[in-house]
Amino acid sequence: MILMRHLTIKYKLIAITMLTCFAALFLAGSGYVLWEWTNLRRIMARNLQTQAELIAENCKAALAFNDAQDSLEILQALQVEPSIVLGCLYNRNNEVFVSYYNQQAGCDIQPPDFKIDGYEFDDGYLTVFKSIVLEDEIIGAVCLRSNLQPMHAMLGRGVYIIVCVMLLAFFTAYLVSSRLQRIISRPILDLADIAKDVSEKKDFSTRAASRTNDEVGLLINTFNEMLEQIQQRDSALVKARDDLEERVNLRTADLTAANEHLTREVAEREKSEARQAELLNTIAKTNEELKDFAYIVSHDLKAPLRGISTLTEWIISDYGDKLDDDGKEQMKLLSSRVGRMHNLIEGVLQYSRVGRVSEERVQINLNELIPEVIDMVSPPENIAVTIENELPVIAGEPTRIMQVFQNLISNAIKYMDKPDGWVKISCADEDNLWVFSVADNGPGIEEKYFEKIFQIFQTLISRDEFESTGVGLTVTKKIVELYGGRIWVESKVGQGSTFFFSFQKQESEVYNAKYETNHVS
Amino acid sequence: MLQINKIISFRLYILLTLSVSLQVIPALAYDDKSDLSREYQIKAAFLYNFMQFVDWPEEKVSDKNAPVILGIIGEDPFGDAFKPIKSKQIKGKKSLIKRFEGIEKLKESDDKGQSKIEFIRQCHLLFICSSEKENLEDIINLVSGYDVLTVGETSNMLESGGIVNFLVDENKVRFEINLTAARRENIKIRSQLLRLAKKVIDNNNLAKK
Repeated sequence: MILMRHLTIKYKLIAITMLTCFAALFLAGSGYVLWEWTNLRRIMARNLQTQAELIAENCKAALAFNDAQDSLEILQALQVEPSIVLGCLYNRNNEVFVSYYNQQAGCDIQPPDFKIDGYEFDDGYLTVFKSIVLEDEIIGAVCLRSNLQPMHAMLGRGVYIIVCVMLLAFFTAYLVSSRLQRIISRPILDLADIAKDVSEKKDFSTRAASRTNDEVGLLINTFNEMLEQIQQRDSALVKARDDLEERVNLRTADLTAANEHLTREVAEREKSEARQAELLNTIAKTNEELKDFAYIVSHDLKAPLRGISTLTEWIISDYGDKLDDDGKEQMKLLSSRVGRMHNLIEGVLQYSRVGRVSEERVQINLNELIPEVIDMVSPPENIAVTIENELPVIAGEPTRIMQVFQNLISNAIKYMDKPDGWVKISCADEDNLWVFSVADNGPGIEEKYFEKIFQIFQTLISRDEFESTGVGLTVTKKIVELYGGRIWVESKVGQGSTFFFSFQKQESEVYNAKYETNHVS
Repeated sequence: MLQINKIISFRLYILLTLSVSLQVIPALAYDDKSDLSREYQIKAAFLYNFMQFVDWPEEKVSDKNAPVILGIIGEDPFGDAFKPIKSKQIKGKKSLIKRFEGIEKLKESDDKGQSKIEFIRQCHLLFICSSEKENLEDIINLVSGYDVLTVGETSNMLESGGIVNFLVDENKVRFEINLTAARRENIKIRSQLLRLAKKVIDNNNLAKK
């Protein structure tokens, strides 16, 4: 069995067939030989007994008449059977009467003692006894002894034939089995080849051909089904991979597109930012130039204007008496117009100074600052300027803060048309804002002018009636907005108006913090 | 050499056996009895053996219960030689020994209306003693046609038409057979017996032995 492990299935099948054949033939042969052996013994014994009977019959008369010569002659007929080595006759007293020896066999065999009828195999010889009976009376016996030569010869021939048949059968079995083993081995070997092929080439589309309906056929079918499944799975895998690849490609394309888009956008933004920055730069420059321009112009205009003013003063003082009333009036007009011009220029300077010059921010207690402002404005008797509630402490530039309140209060006083005028200053706390208000009971402002009043050089009433530069509210708005606040007006014509402006608490605090850190550093 | 030795010893053995057997048979009942009585003992046994190896025609032995009759005519020389063997059966039948006087006397004793010749005709075997030597032909003619096996011990027995004749050859009892006579009497003599005969007269064939 161990030896067979290394054989191919073909030789295994042949070997199995041969071994089976050999075993069967060996058994059959052995059985046959055994059977033949017993049979031959029986036949031989029977033959020898028959011969003994014949001898007995033939010797009957000779024995009866005591004729030894004739008995011997009869016994000598046994010569034709060379296997019979001894023949002897016993008389009625069981004594040897005559005996015959086969000359070839030699004479070293003593006649056996008389025994009753029967045969026995002993010591390589078959001995047969047969009584000679004449008329119910035993008158003697015949004894024949034969060697087993014929039996052995026949047995030998039988064995020889069996061996020949076995060899022939063996040879035939080899031929037949080496032909017929293909019935079993061919499909298996084919299957093995295909399996090897599949495993080597990874080609799952191959199919094994099923030619039989037995277990091998079943195996092949199952194998095919397996291949089918593998192929399906494989193709599904390939498809999935392709899909994935496609998806990846698609996604990559998308990403690339998005990226490009983004890059473009970034570039655009950068460009726009750059443009913006440029623009801002330009604007800042322009603004700066404008400021400088405003300042320079105002500053430069002041000098000739002062000259004109001085000259006008000189003309009035030197040539006042030479002028008629009309001339005097015109000179007065000229002087006032120069004064207005001066104020305008001053206003422009003031306005332009707001963005350009900055002073240190400090803690300002409005409760102290406002009365100062009121003092500076010095309201007339008929107008009461009051602080309605407790005012906070804020961080800021004192001059500017003062300017804001001053502008608003002075405006209220300036345009007061009532005999009993009042101006009320109050403050409201709104989350992160302080909302200050300056209310009056003046003429009020029409709603359509709510925006216009904050524009520069805009006055609602002619400058001839009220001397005003039209810069005050504009400067105020600019300061408020500088502090991150807002300014607006609520008013009813004839009843008065209230100016509100918000001031960021946080702004001041943040500013403070910033300020302090600056100081520390 | 071995082979030759074997052959020589074999022959010696045969000679020895023969001599022994020849001595044993005469020694059967010798000792205190005469040669003559021994001879007749053998002859008595032979007579019984003859009857074993001879076949009579069917009508002679049809009665199964009837005994086989052995007749002795003339002066009986057997004495008590039949004693040990007369109880023997022959062909499944009992044997009966009948003794007859000489033929002359038989012919005379034809008184009771029935001839005693009939008795000898009924015999299966008729031993004609040497005392009847002169009347052989007469006796044989009398029983001829009655299927009687005639046995004698005189030299002219076979010439006279007898079937079997005893003779002593080299101190051994032998016999000779007239097969023609046997055929005439419808008696079949078995070949085994013929083999043993010293001489067989057969008119159809030449005499053997």
